[in-house]
Amino acid sequence: MGFPTAPMVTIAFKDLAKSNAASRGMPLERICFTPHPVWGKTDAEMYAYLEGNDPVSGKPLMKEVIDALTQPLTAEEQKTGSVEISTGPATYTDTAENLQQYYLDNGMTDFMQIVIPTEEKLAEMLKGTSHKPDEVVGKMSPARGSYPEWSFTVRQVAINAVMAGAKPEYLPTILAIAETGLTSLSSSTNSFATAAVINGPIRDKLNMNYGIGAMGPFAQSNAAIGRAWTMLSRNLSNSGIPGQTYLGTLGNGVNYNNLILPENEKDSPWTPLHVQKGFKPEENVVSVFVGFSISQGQGGIGLGVKPVPQYHEAIAYNCIPFGPLFGALIVCDPLVAQGLVELGYKTKEQLADWLQKNSLISAKNARSTLFANRWVPDAKTPDDAMIPYYQRADSYNFVVVGGQTNPYHMVANMSYRVSISIDKWS
Amino acid sequence: MKMNRRKLLSLLGMSPALLAGPGAGAREKPAKTVSGPVKLTGVNPRGIAPAVQLVPMAPRLTSLDGKTIFLVSDGFPGADHFLAQMEAWFKKNMPGVTTEYRLKAGQFADDDPKLNAEIKAKGNAVIMAIGH
Repeated sequence: MGFPTAPMVTIAFKDLAKSNAASRGMPLERICFTPHPVWGKTDAEMYAYLEGNDPVSGKPLMKEVIDALTQPLTAEEQKTGSVEISTGPATYTDTAENLQQYYLDNGMTDFMQIVIPTEEKLAEMLKGTSHKPDEVVGKMSPARGSYPEWSFTVRQVAINAVMAGAKPEYLPTILAIAETGLTSLSSSTNSFATAAVINGPIRDKLNMNYGIGAMGPFAQSNAAIGRAWTMLSRNLSNSGIPGQTYLGTLGNGVNYNNLILPENEKDSPWTPLHVQKGFKPEENVVSVFVGFSISQGQGGIGLGVKPVPQYHEAIAYNCIPFGPLFGALIVCDPLVAQGLVELGYKTKEQLADWLQKNSLISAKNARSTLFANRWVPDAKTPDDAMIPYYQRADSYNFVVVGGQTNPYHMVANMSYRVSISIDKWS
Repeated sequence: MKMNRRKLLSLLGMSPALLAGPGAGAREKPAKTVSGPVKLTGVNPRGIAPAVQLVPMAPRLTSLDGKTIFLVSDGFPGADHFLAQMEAWFKKNMPGVTTEYRLKAGQFADDDPKLNAEIKAKGNAVIMAIGH
């Protein structure tokens, strides 16, 4: 920035702060640390932090701050130049058992057994695409803008696909997911989850499950494609190092293989998601979402109304706990979608429009939420004014999956990011 | 530079076994030596890490007396209250320092060129806070 700066970070983020400073070219940045947390502490408690010691150096905190701004720079702190970062040797040779351990010990797995990526298996996997192995697919980081982006090739994506247990025919879908640049292991303290909606004929070609138990472990393609997303996030973007590039305080079980949502297009009364996003019905497309996670929707009001449950009321109700950082991804069984059509919501857009106008929160409650500064109500808005959860109807997205064993839905506090053609990676 | 590089790599959270390259890599997390005859060769699944461009730190001040320090919140919850206490601390302990509080625009990691320009024009140093 060009002026002396003393960055302050709580002790819980020591490793993150130091590694981030290093990756941005200031390995010796003068970071000052406070106890953790600051959020939720009283003014007196925070003042006591300032009067106390830096928990890393053990020295008085404010002296550290003042020294950070006034002590002359060392020669090391003024260095310029470029430092190459190695990601290790090209190959490892050992027994299968020891290689399993090697990949695990060096943070290259999801802590479950992998398929050892030999050159033979890699060559077989690469038959799944016409693209050259050295072609660059894209870039990815643990959180865009906060960490350096790593780049990666078709070959490197294919290696991770092998490790995840994918078949060659899954590779174009995995390459499309990789191209989105969205890590499935976001660094956020929130323990985010990710979802990939798959549309087009490829769902049947790969025997993807969009019927009974669509989101569960009941199809190899769903499972391996989802697992590959996490594997490649770990290895191609340096995501997922606890304390450094992963800070999710609770973690998220969805991260093992993510929400893979092949849309049940044949039983859905609505336009498929990829067509909503501008693709043709016959195109194969992956659309990715990120956010907090997914929860069941059975507690919603209106579901007991006869003869047609008031699904729209239930969805609106179930979105009430959503935070303002992300939008809503509503996952509906075809029976729910058909019920909503009977209620007059002929299109997903009509339902989104109704939800945007009718999912409301009082200004007072909005101001009391976390990240309240992201809500719209300004100081002039009275506390009892009801304001929409989301300012835009397209904050709501819908995908139809499921086997019609019951008219259930789930709600995910997730935002749409991007749709990528799978066909281009064939 | 050699010392710096090792330290840098360590700070980046990279496994030394991976970073050191073939041969030396075995020192950190060695694959066991085995007697079994069947061995496989696995390939490296890692992507391509960008080179780190070292950035020299800005020259320091000789003293804070009479200087203006911008207290910049990155927007994390509690940062505003924390910096208000920082302001109080300076008033009590270093009254010769002028403080100016600002909330940085954008997401946590976004740059705020407008604020940077203001600090450059009106300030001498920055204290930025804070993660949780």
